[in-house]
Amino acid sequence: MSLIDSVMAGLSLVGNWEAFLSLAIGIVIGVVGGAIPGISATMAVALALPFTFPMEAINGILLLLGVYKGGIFGGSIPAILIKTPGTPASSATILDGHPMAERGEAGRALGMTLWASCTADFVSNLALIFFAGFLASFALSFGPPEFFALILFSLTIIAGVSGESLLRGALSALLGLLLATIGLDLVYGTNRFTFGDPNLMGGLNFIAVLIGLFAIPEVINMVWHPTGHVGKVQKLGSKWVTFAEYKRCFRSIIRGSFIGVFLGSIPGIGAAPAAFLSYSEARRKSPNKANFGKGEIEGVAASEAGNNGVAGATLIPLLALGVPGDVITAIIIGAFMVHGLQPGPMMFVLNVDIIYGLFIGLILSSGILFVVGGLAIRGFRPVADIPKRILMPMVLVLCIYGVFAVNNNIFDVGVMFVMGWIGFVMGRLHIPPAPFLIAFILGPLLEDNFRQAMLMSGGSPDILLRGPITWFFWALTVISIVAITRGTLRAGRAKG
Amino acid sequence: MQVRLGIGAILVAIFLVIHAIPNWVSSPSNVGNIVLSPLFWPYILGALTGLVGLGLVLSGWRTAQGGPVNEPIPDPRAGAIRLAGFAVLMVATFRAMPHLGMVWTSMLAFVALAFLVKTRHPAAAVICAVVVPLILYAFFAHVASVAIPQGDLVRLP
Repeated sequence: MSLIDSVMAGLSLVGNWEAFLSLAIGIVIGVVGGAIPGISATMAVALALPFTFPMEAINGILLLLGVYKGGIFGGSIPAILIKTPGTPASSATILDGHPMAERGEAGRALGMTLWASCTADFVSNLALIFFAGFLASFALSFGPPEFFALILFSLTIIAGVSGESLLRGALSALLGLLLATIGLDLVYGTNRFTFGDPNLMGGLNFIAVLIGLFAIPEVINMVWHPTGHVGKVQKLGSKWVTFAEYKRCFRSIIRGSFIGVFLGSIPGIGAAPAAFLSYSEARRKSPNKANFGKGEIEGVAASEAGNNGVAGATLIPLLALGVPGDVITAIIIGAFMVHGLQPGPMMFVLNVDIIYGLFIGLILSSGILFVVGGLAIRGFRPVADIPKRILMPMVLVLCIYGVFAVNNNIFDVGVMFVMGWIGFVMGRLHIPPAPFLIAFILGPLLEDNFRQAMLMSGGSPDILLRGPITWFFWALTVISIVAITRGTLRAGRAKG
Repeated sequence: MQVRLGIGAILVAIFLVIHAIPNWVSSPSNVGNIVLSPLFWPYILGALTGLVGLGLVLSGWRTAQGGPVNEPIPDPRAGAIRLAGFAVLMVATFRAMPHLGMVWTSMLAFVALAFLVKTRHPAAAVICAVVVPLILYAFFAHVASVAIPQGDLVRLP
């Protein structure tokens, strides 16, 4: 199929009002969800997922991508107005955004946030379109040993960067891998930790695990400390961002977008490190570096460009290799699975219409985000005023319905409740949940590819090093382990 | 906390290797190569969990601070009671759902949770408790064609 044919096939899927509406609704849900402290972009995507079941695959996935992009932008609104990031990705935005809000320039900061976010989002989407197909065509030649090495590399990155401590991240990933072993064995069909219960033979339901891990702990946290969320909302002020200011910050925005694209395309790094790196680079290069941290608009632009630059790029490993780029794309895999799609290089062969439909939808999403984001900035106050002690019971009920709807099985609701407590305890012990979920998804793939490789070689481990591709991923794995270990040891020494 | 977490991980690893994997993972007797056995992967993960636990214990002993600390809350005892209450609410919700139906159970769970956390808007909570499960029922039962459990008492259209 030629490029024109592929684009036309994609257009035939998304060239209708349902697709456009799904994307727009997704962005609205994401912006509102991201703007409510306690409902992160991750939780918003997880809660929206069950509502996509009756939709066409392309519309459902577009809705979730809209929630993702809207959520990342929406998180910056409370970061600036109440000094509470709606999502972890917006943490860097507080540094200059909140001082601006305290000076009565919240509207100006939020305006720059919107412009920087949409620019970075557009750059990130273009990067996805240019690189995903190239990477997928390369990955078509991968066999089980290559996929095993790739997934192992992804796991080392995830364990190393997703928390305060390498060991806690690794423990979280191991727990996820262990839980993924529940069910019938992939090769022999024998029982593993099923205790004779037919509900466990297919393994734990992925959506019950993810909603349990990301939504229920927030409800439990609210039960533990019901008044922990109260903050003071700053006024927008009369000043608004000007085009001249956007032009002045443009270099930082583009630099931040590329930092976001680069870090986002590496599985597991996510938006928060990209935002901080983009912020620190902007400060290093800016003539106004002394103003950074005191309310410098370029700081807001850089951090927002960094975190939004990630949003399209995280889909590169997801679509091209079937490996989630971050925890939100790990959840979006659920939407692909529910609709019988398996992200990865074969999707570029078998479902090229969906791939190009997604590309077209994503390009549109930057424009929709600009419109919805502008309205959300002005309408934040009612969103911030939703009482959390009513919102969280709503979340609980949404979770119950959503998880039940996956398999029409009450057992899954029980799994979600148990996972919620596990997630809460993990939070209290400062064990990050993201490596758990990503390992839970990648675990069966890792084991399956390992055992297929062993079957191919008659049990000889030499096959795991059979060619340049496996050498490349093994080298990356070793380098990342060494780098992470050195970084952790240095941080430990610095703490004393 | 780091040391205790590490000890916990080691105990889990020991439990896995000594008891859980031998008893709860079955493997065909004719598997020639250990790496192809269904037992291989769980044993590897069990061993790695033990190693990570050991790492946590050693790093906890080496660092003076003892790991990150949780933000304190005004009344931890009341918090613990609320947590216990919520655990009971979850079990009751799970048990009641097949008998009362998902809609009625959700309404009760909503109200119970809102009052457990002492909402300042009781009237709004009750209204939401009725409306939200009904809207979700309408969506999932009539749009998504999901067979929402109706229970033995009152059935919805």
